[in-house]
Amino acid sequence: MFDDIRVGILSAKSSIKRGNKKTLAFIIFVLALIFVNLLFLPSMIGGLMGMFTGFMQYPYGDIVVEPSGDNVYINNADNVLQKVRAVQDVTFATKRLDAGASIQYKQKVVGSSIIGILPSEEYGISNYPFIITEGEFLGDLSQDEIIIGAMLVEGYFGSEIYDNLGEIKVGSFVNVTYSNGVVRKYKVKGIMEGTFELVDLNALVHYKEIKDVFGVDEGKATSVVVRVKNPDDAAKVKEKIIAVGVKEPVFTADEKSDALMRQAMQSIGMINVVSKYVSLIIGAALILIIVYINVLNRKREIGILKAVGITPRSIVISYAFISMFYVSMGILAGLVLYFASMFYFTVNPVTFYDTITIIPEIQVGLLINSIFTMLIMSVIAVILPAWRVSKESILKAIWGR
Amino acid sequence: MTDEKTMIQIKDLTRYYKSGMGVVKALDGVSLKIEKGEFIAIMGASGSGKTTMLRILGLLDKPTKGEYTINNLNVVHLPEEERSYYRLTQLGYVFQDYALINEMSASENVYILSLMEGKSKKESISTAHEALVNVGLGDKGKRIPDQLSGGEKQRVAVARAIAKKPKILFADEPCANLDTHTSEQVLDVFKILNEKFGQTIVMVTHEAWHTKYVSRVIKLRDGKIVGDLRRRKN
Ligand SMILES: Nc1ncnc2c1ncn2[C@@H]1O[C@H](COP(=O)(O)OP(=O)(O)O)[C@@H](O)[C@H]1O
Ligand SMILES: [Mg+2]
Repeated sequence: MFDDIRVGILSAKSSIKRGNKKTLAFIIFVLALIFVNLLFLPSMIGGLMGMFTGFMQYPYGDIVVEPSGDNVYINNADNVLQKVRAVQDVTFATKRLDAGASIQYKQKVVGSSIIGILPSEEYGISNYPFIITEGEFLGDLSQDEIIIGAMLVEGYFGSEIYDNLGEIKVGSFVNVTYSNGVVRKYKVKGIMEGTFELVDLNALVHYKEIKDVFGVDEGKATSVVVRVKNPDDAAKVKEKIIAVGVKEPVFTADEKSDALMRQAMQSIGMINVVSKYVSLIIGAALILIIVYINVLNRKREIGILKAVGITPRSIVISYAFISMFYVSMGILAGLVLYFASMFYFTVNPVTFYDTITIIPEIQVGLLINSIFTMLIMSVIAVILPAWRVSKESILKAIWGR
Repeated sequence: MTDEKTMIQIKDLTRYYKSGMGVVKALDGVSLKIEKGEFIAIMGASGSGKTTMLRILGLLDKPTKGEYTINNLNVVHLPEEERSYYRLTQLGYVFQDYALINEMSASENVYILSLMEGKSKKESISTAHEALVNVGLGDKGKRIPDQLSGGEKQRVAVARAIAKKPKILFADEPCANLDTHTSEQVLDVFKILNEKFGQTIVMVTHEAWHTKYVSRVIKLRDGKIVGDLRRRKN
């Protein structure tokens, strides 16, 4: 066996070193494309799903605590906050008070969710402070001021799909009628655009406004929203939050988005999985064809090696080395191509409707997976044809008859 | 029955090729006994079956029918793996069309066989060099076949076959592309191997003057032996 390997390496080395360089370059190029094909779509879809996950963080952060049972409010939100903030790996936590309301501007009225927030705390929690496209975000002293979601404002993305309030400007006044009948007049301080219905159909006011309107005490909240150090650990942190004695139900953003967007995500996920397998099968077939042609092209050499007494095993080993070399070079070239394209699409993201942009996501697991898959495929693909040719009659292999 | 002195014995060796028009009887019932240490020339017109016979003797092809023993060992029905090992360790073969690996240097073409036999790389390379020197190519070991003339390629093929000092050396027109001087050089190497090391040599040739090197001349015509002449050694 040792001699088989030595001979296999010598034969592989000479064949690579002195073989046709143009063919070699072409094979490596094709293999690089196969490699990139394994990664590209999943990266884009990963980016798409990452974008959705990003959307889910507006209402839910990484973890959300909600009222138990039929309760409208978490009764002791400050107490919950205190406990949650003491939990390891929790970076920020805040309380919110949501309410249903209708907003009226001039002749137009639309129903909306009004979210009462503590403005300065939101900087560590959500993107709300950073998606103000006109005007300014609320301040801790804001009174009688409101942030309006862009889909409620005529001319913004999505506003034509839903009822909107017309051409509201920063500084316009709107009337808000809360679900308990209380009416308040607010000055529009800013317009927020997250290019997502869950954000852009809502409005933001100060926490105190809702508290006053509904006459509830300082401890009440409709949700406590939590951010953690590493979103991947959300499930673990959730357990810790329960462990420190938070009685209200606790959800991770994943659990929430599962409930909400299960279907959409599932079908995208399906496309992703199917495309991964299709790429894999096409890749495997192409590698097989490339290797097979290469082996057939070298029938004569194989016949000669056999004729002088080189074992078929050495010959198969030699072609396994050659094939692994091709594929390794293809992977290297593919990595360059892949990272170049990822860089390009990160700098110039794919954009829909001018506002939804998909930034590709580099998935290290998939990357490693694809590298190993290709390497294993390269060896499997070569064994069959090399073995078959090495078993052929010597006369046929060398002289073709 | 064979005895101690017999190297090769063939009986009624027959090889038919199926071709488009019908069957070509390339070898038609040949019987022959070759003793250890003989240096044999096989002669005959083109198409008379010389190559066919040599390929079968060299275990590169199998007869359609007939018997073939080397050293009393019936080699016709040996499994391919053992035939391959036999070729590697006991036989040398010089192909009419050289059959060199184009991507390997002259030296690599020769020493890959010793590597396969399990010799160290160093030893393999030095044996290969020695063989190349013997055929007058000591300084061209690094060249690949494309950088060699037809005659030089032929001599690399000879070097590959003789490097391991095989028990039996088969050579299919080894001087076909060589001028008289180089032909003599190669034939001298054969002669030394034959006389000094007692190697059995079977060589196909069509040059009458080559016969002065050999101990026996066998003539083939239409796949049959039509002459078998022993020469006195001089
Ligand atoms: N693979 C083959 N298939 C069909 N016919 C063949 C094949 N090889 C040789 N022949 C035929 O067999 C005969 C003997 O060929 P060969 O042994 O090569 O002769 P030589 O070496 O004496 O010139 C020729 O008629 C040749 O055409
Ligand atoms: Mg011939």
